Amino acid sequence: MISLRGVSLVYPNGVHALDHVSLEIGKGDFVFLVGHSGTGKSSLLRLLYREAKPTAGEITVDGIRVDALKRSRVPALRRHLGVVFQDFKLLSDKTVWENVAFAMQVTGASSRDVMRQVPRTLDLVGLAHKSRMYPGELSGGEQQRAAIARALVNNPKLLLCDEPTGNLDPTNTTEIMELLLRINMKGTTIVVATHNQAVVDRMRRRVVRLENGKIVTDEERGYYYLGLGQGQVLSG
Amino acid sequence: MDWGKVKFFLGEVLRNFTRNAGMQATAIGTVAITIVLLGSFLFVRTALAGLGGQLLDQIEVSIYLKPDVTAAQTTAIRDAFKGDPRVLSVDYVPKKQGLVELRARTKGEIDTALLTENPLPDKFRVKVRDPDNVPAVAASARQLAGVENVVYGQDYVQRLLSLGAVLRRVGLGAILVFLIVASIIISNTIRLTVFARRREIAIMQLVGATNMYIRMPFICEGALGGLLGALLAIGILWIARATLWPRMLEALPWMPLSSAAVDPVRLALELLAVGGAIGILASWISVGRHLRT
Repeated sequence: MISLRGVSLVYPNGVHALDHVSLEIGKGDFVFLVGHSGTGKSSLLRLLYREAKPTAGEITVDGIRVDALKRSRVPALRRHLGVVFQDFKLLSDKTVWENVAFAMQVTGASSRDVMRQVPRTLDLVGLAHKSRMYPGELSGGEQQRAAIARALVNNPKLLLCDEPTGNLDPTNTTEIMELLLRINMKGTTIVVATHNQAVVDRMRRRVVRLENGKIVTDEERGYYYLGLGQGQVLSG
Repeated sequence: MDWGKVKFFLGEVLRNFTRNAGMQATAIGTVAITIVLLGSFLFVRTALAGLGGQLLDQIEVSIYLKPDVTAAQTTAIRDAFKGDPRVLSVDYVPKKQGLVELRARTKGEIDTALLTENPLPDKFRVKVRDPDNVPAVAASARQLAGVENVVYGQDYVQRLLSLGAVLRRVGLGAILVFLIVASIIISNTIRLTVFARRREIAIMQLVGATNMYIRMPFICEGALGGLLGALLAIGILWIARATLWPRMLEALPWMPLSSAAVDPVRLALELLAVGGAIGILASWISVGRHLRT
């Protein structure tokens, strides 16, 4: 699903966000990207949905060569994936229903498809009963559910989450992670950038750890801290 | 036709349009001023073109011959202008005919019966195809043997020609300035809308809306502003045509001005097209600038 080969990203201000990163993520995988703030987690996600362009290296997402993608082809890439953020990025003057439908409407979906797909997706995230409410009337967890619904409504094969639980309390965090698991079980590939230790340690999924723009470890069933729970010494 | 889609789209445009009504009104007002200027310029130009053409058509070069001119010289003068491509026609007017014409023109105001002899010289009446060439033709006539004097109302022609040119330049300059000002104001208005909607635009880009799709509502907003401005201007011009124009005609009775050559429907459509075009162009540029970043 995702393949990075020797990817580097240097921002115009000279900051090296990523340094020769290579990574393979298969179809249907659930992967955590962990590391301190500023280690390049968000930069890596931004490269995948072509918000940034790598300085060097090759990136393939769902068979699309993202690094060589022409600007006019970017919308086509983004219709194949969903993105969820810490701050939800919902439109406050639109209802939950309208926010979710917006993603379909602006990509030219027919109103019949909108009428069919939006209720189904709201049902999946458990917000069907609040579809007429505005984001301001919802809890943080509910807002993130609405954002996830918007990311999923076009049936993407890949869901990218940048600190999805960063603004949520532990209960809501658990619920959102359970929702992501459920979505993953339906076959959607999910990449979650986070520094929430509890979430990573409980889920026991693949953990890719970044430090100073480099992948330092890549464990199949990892913990937030390297080797924790296996009697090994903390490193770094 | 997917009415759900149409409704969604029109809703977005209208919401944008009413969001910053004050700025929108300024933009429409500026477009209206620009188009009133443009419209009156086109109107007056068409009316003046008729007038200018009429006056200039009447301009002819009179070549007065010396009393002692020989027949050979007369023939030479005629031949010189017959072969000249600038010249439309050459007529020989002997002094007898000249007197008849003078009588007819003055209609008894001058009692020609008092004349003991014909005081008029023989002359050639030369008509020139292009009024611009009148001075040159007159100059070449002066070179010829047997020519006493050449008259064509120099000042009159030259003033009319240069007045026309000056009016055109000043008018076009003013219109150009106003077109630029109107574009800038529309462009700023759209930029405010773009700024107010930057979150929506970001989300549209995130979920894969094409730049064309994102641009469309703003282009429509700009076009709507431009068209409304043009409509307002057409209304103002209509009123001016009905009230000011007749008074102008009364005040300048000696000027054979006429709006007959102006096709009001065509002019209105042209002005609408200009208004819409300014709106579209200005918004296209200001949204494009935002999308590129």
